[in-house]
Amino acid sequence: MRVPEKYYDEKFDFRGEWDMLSTCGLKIVKKASKDIIVVTELYQENPGTSVTYAGSSLLLQICEAKGLDLNRVIYVECNPDTRSKLSFYNEEYFFVQFREKDGKLTDPSYKQMTDQEICDLIYG
Amino acid sequence: MRETIKMKLIYPRWEKLRGQTTFNLPPHGPVVFAASLPEHVDVSFTDENVESIDFDEECDLVAISMMLSTQVKRGWAIASEFRKRGKKVIFGGIATMLHAEDTIHYADSVFLGESEGRMEQVLKDWEKGELKKVYNYMGKLPPIELVGPARRDLYKRELYNHKGVQMVDLFHASRGCRFSCYPCAVSYLGGRAFRPRPMDKVVEELASIENNRLFIVDNSLAQNKEWEMQLFREMIPLKKKWISHTIEDDPKILDLAAQSGAWYVYQAVYDTSDYIRERIKRYHSYGIGVEGTILLGLDNQTEDDIKRLIDFLLDIDLDLAEFTVLSPFPHTKAYDDLLRQGRIFDHDWDHYNAGQVVYQPAHMSPEKLQELYDYAWSTFYKDESQEEKMTRLFIKVMMREMEDGTWVPRDRRLINKSFGKDIVRTIGR
Repeated sequence: MRVPEKYYDEKFDFRGEWDMLSTCGLKIVKKASKDIIVVTELYQENPGTSVTYAGSSLLLQICEAKGLDLNRVIYVECNPDTRSKLSFYNEEYFFVQFREKDGKLTDPSYKQMTDQEICDLIYG
Repeated sequence: MRETIKMKLIYPRWEKLRGQTTFNLPPHGPVVFAASLPEHVDVSFTDENVESIDFDEECDLVAISMMLSTQVKRGWAIASEFRKRGKKVIFGGIATMLHAEDTIHYADSVFLGESEGRMEQVLKDWEKGELKKVYNYMGKLPPIELVGPARRDLYKRELYNHKGVQMVDLFHASRGCRFSCYPCAVSYLGGRAFRPRPMDKVVEELASIENNRLFIVDNSLAQNKEWEMQLFREMIPLKKKWISHTIEDDPKILDLAAQSGAWYVYQAVYDTSDYIRERIKRYHSYGIGVEGTILLGLDNQTEDDIKRLIDFLLDIDLDLAEFTVLSPFPHTKAYDDLLRQGRIFDHDWDHYNAGQVVYQPAHMSPEKLQELYDYAWSTFYKDESQEEKMTRLFIKVMMREMEDGTWVPRDRRLINKSFGKDIVRTIGR
């Protein structure tokens, strides 16, 4: 169940839950108005915490490592198509937003994106 | 000489699923943990599923070992009782790892990860009054060679006995799992690499277990064919009879498994394909029984699909079936997916027992899925109860034991006891 490389530009190592070494696929698309971060779950190639469970911690680590301004990023989680026979591993994209509370990003909300929406976001 | 530390080791109880036959097996996690303790620790073990806890028993330190999400709330309550009495409480085990953020609030310390080679330091810290709030060994796996023989001497054997019949002993030959299945958190807990124990240690421990009947609790034995075949070859002279999760679907392996005493295996049945039908037949052709494990409520299942699946199970001659509903345990893909979709409506860990619906299924209401779960159990066991089917499997293993001279008659002293409690017989009244 290897994740095709088309989903990411690089593999990004991050500190997962309890500082576990974790890895995700990362694509950053810089645009005039916003920077788009797409994190991709790598399943078997990720030895630690999933991108969803890592949540805002992963977003903050990416912004810090890549020098991105948190206030101008659009954050997207990707479940890649792994060509599995199981429908649970179909391709899905989610637009993720966090709420700021006591200086922390919390309470993620997810909106599933259509193929058209993700295309427009990245290539539009 | 070092002063002895008296540790009270507790395995919290959980509510058993209604309608199912309750078998209390001797728990594995606590006695594997106990094997990692230094020699100067004197352990007293209480499995609350079969006996009550004496909160006033003299001890220096309390350790609570939790395997299931349905144990965590009870574990927290137990910790509170001991802490009220001034005892320090440390938590460990896989459910502690899954629920660590919450467990910290009820603990003096939580231990995350595998304990081999690490407890000496934890106990030194405790002796100095410097117990850390978190011992974080997540992802830092100790050498597998350090896994020692489980401390089965800690069991009160008569409590794991039903009408004179000893329950199976649990054993593990490996840790970790190279698979990362949709509803499973094992890859997060034990690493995504298969880690077999050294074969000589495996055989030595197997030979030391007095019980002839075992449940090999490895996540999956079907991870490496060569290793699996070697394991079965080594087991043949031991004449054990065993249960396990899935084994490789390969004639050579099935043959060796049968020779080494495979009694029955758990096999996931996820569709009504000929592949599954033939696979069950192949197990049976080698004399290996099959308990189907059927997960209900996946997003690709409609009500009709579930009913068809249950009809199929009756048709393929399964020896036993165990139905569960999907429980989105933390650190599983199921949890991530359902969380993102806002479909988890119940966050009470007592309800994460694989028998209660805690999320919105894709093609039906939660109530309908709950109803189908009950329907699955009642339909499969309509003509022959779970206990009757179990008895049939039991007779098969007894026959094999009689053939190879390993059969041990039931313990007549415990014939009127079930897991430590008196049996009330109603026949003849």
